[in-house]
Amino acid sequence: MAGDPKNYLHLARPLAPAPIATQSSAVTAPVTVTLHPQALFSILDHASRRPADQDRVIGTLLGTRSEDGTEVSISNCYAVPHTETAEQVEVDMDYQKRMLELHLRAAPKEVLVGWYATSGDLNTFSALIQNFYGQQGEGTWPHPAVHLTVGTKAGQDIEANTYISAPIGVTAERAADSCLFIPVPHEIKYDDASKSGLELIAGARDREDRSQFLQTDVEMLERAVEQVLEMLERVSNYVSDVLDEEREPSTALGQFLLNTLSLAPKVNPEDIEKDFNNHIQDVLLVSYLSNTIRTQIDLSNRLVTAALTMGPGDGAAATAGEGGEGKGQREGGGGGRGGRGGRGGRSGQAGRDQGRREEQ
Amino acid sequence: MAAIAPAVADAPIREVQLEALVVMRIIKHSTTAFPTPATGCLVGMDVGAQLQITNCFPFPAAVPEAGSAAANNNPADPYHHADQAALALAAPRAKSNASYAAEMLKFLKEVNVDAQGVGWYMSCSMGNFVSQAFVENQAFYQRATDERTVALVFDVGRSSQGSVHVKAYRLSASFMAALKENKFSAESIQKSNLRYQDILLEIPLRIHNSHLLTTLLHTLPTPPPKAPLDFPAALSELHANPALAANPLAPNLDALDLSIDPFLEKSTDLMLESIEAHITEQNNASYYQRSLAREQAKIKTWQEKRKGENALRAQQKLAPLAEDEWQKLFKLPVEPSRLEAMLVGRQVEQYARQVDGFNAVVTGKMFGVRGNLVLERELA
Repeated sequence: MAGDPKNYLHLARPLAPAPIATQSSAVTAPVTVTLHPQALFSILDHASRRPADQDRVIGTLLGTRSEDGTEVSISNCYAVPHTETAEQVEVDMDYQKRMLELHLRAAPKEVLVGWYATSGDLNTFSALIQNFYGQQGEGTWPHPAVHLTVGTKAGQDIEANTYISAPIGVTAERAADSCLFIPVPHEIKYDDASKSGLELIAGARDREDRSQFLQTDVEMLERAVEQVLEMLERVSNYVSDVLDEEREPSTALGQFLLNTLSLAPKVNPEDIEKDFNNHIQDVLLVSYLSNTIRTQIDLSNRLVTAALTMGPGDGAAATAGEGGEGKGQREGGGGGRGGRGGRGGRSGQAGRDQGRREEQ
Repeated sequence: MAAIAPAVADAPIREVQLEALVVMRIIKHSTTAFPTPATGCLVGMDVGAQLQITNCFPFPAAVPEAGSAAANNNPADPYHHADQAALALAAPRAKSNASYAAEMLKFLKEVNVDAQGVGWYMSCSMGNFVSQAFVENQAFYQRATDERTVALVFDVGRSSQGSVHVKAYRLSASFMAALKENKFSAESIQKSNLRYQDILLEIPLRIHNSHLLTTLLHTLPTPPPKAPLDFPAALSELHANPALAANPLAPNLDALDLSIDPFLEKSTDLMLESIEAHITEQNNASYYQRSLAREQAKIKTWQEKRKGENALRAQQKLAPLAEDEWQKLFKLPVEPSRLEAMLVGRQVEQYARQVDGFNAVVTGKMFGVRGNLVLERELA
């Protein structure tokens, strides 16, 4: 079960008779949905904030669509307040519209692509809301509105499903509040930056209070090295077990090990030493230069503010050392300052040239 | 809540807690807006000494106001240049966005999201965030009635190598006091003893997940298997299985990549820019000094002349002329503000710290690689 990709069948959905015959008809191409992690997290957050009397909450999905409408990417979402009783459902449409406007101001490329609900069941109310979102004018017409359900029952797996809809009904009025939900394939895409964010967040998943401090670079390096060491240990244990005939050998693993070990490079040790020395020198040089620059700028700022008193210098309490020096040259006043500034400028220039030369 | 007297001593903010959702949203916004800086507003709640940030939304770029710069809050802002980066950076304090933020907060309140603005965020590249715009933005937020706000800075450049670099900053109290007077002359800095290290306070950050999120993380990419797994028959089975081929939670070993030169190049480039800014500031300061000295010399000669004239007139028994007319005749040059110089110092310190951190990590990796490769030769 784990790891089986689901298979999808695309049904070209039947369309309701178009209200205006001259307009382009609705799109019936197959749709694949890509979900961004931040939208998913936002939905989960909303689900955990729902009002106490509601079982499920809904919201609007924003994203981008490809040219022909076959690929829909969901990148943002926001919650829409709604109330649901046994007989009727109310969605705050005004809120929907105004929030959409606000979001479009900040990100004009992200358009309305559908809506979500935080429980997995589909009922009449879902159909009503789906029709609302798929309508002409304010909805996603001519493209189908994507409906995303995320199961958020405590204690059960979080399952996400995506659907598009087709009208179904015996008469036109019945069709207005019923829907045939067609499941469409979806996947959650993580780009590189999101992956690192996800890893950071996942670091907290095994802890009691579900939180952790941000880690510095060195700590992350340490963690990566520890992980590799642990993996190497597991593999070497396995290999020695196989050699002692305590475990079943596996061709796949043998293949993998063979491929990996052949990646070890064959290099000339003198080249390695030379490269290593060069790189170490580069790194140490830049570090030294940046610290020197920092000290110099600090010093020049302090000198300037140290003893700029035209009258009896009593403000030198905090900067006694520089103050003494500054007072001695106070007579030269402007000239001395200019000179020092000039000198600072020149040595800054020299530092810069040196930096540039080393860079080359 | 609005009627709390300012005399109530709130605990200073000691820690910032960030929800996972906020992290992902900031990452997404910053990486899509790269290379222009991305800015947005943070909402959350402050709980004693901890500031909790639970959601965020991006700001639209500030609308440049047509016509006079005097209509803006800060005439030094380049609103009239349609510079993208400047517009984006000016967004958090732009008048056009105040109503945007207020509306968003109102709507978010209706769906039970914490509706208290607790700060703003911005993205930067390789640590180049210390600028007048940054300081102005944070000052704007810290001057508001609700003073407990932070600035989150997300470093897009450094986060590309498998780590997330985000920091929280506040302006220190001494710096806020100096900003209020908006006087950054040499004497005022001397008196207040303000150094560039004192401008920003860094606050530790922690990430927090909700229960639902933790459930999701445990089931990514597939629910945990109920029975021990068998070995796959061949490697291609592993490749073909989409859940395994693209596992987002597989150990991310990008941190072990050894890439030295690009980082060093970018750092040195940014350092050079800072040095140039520093030189400009110094030239301004020395120019001011020289012109001040010139004016004062002129005043002195004029005063001597006056004294001489008065002595003459006293001899001739005429009324002496006024001695302090020089204040009306000579205009002393205005001292340039030293704020930019201090910010440059702080920025350079930021770069230096980054290089040091990078140094530590990269040296370790290099020794590791060398030990690995050189040892092989000794064995063989």
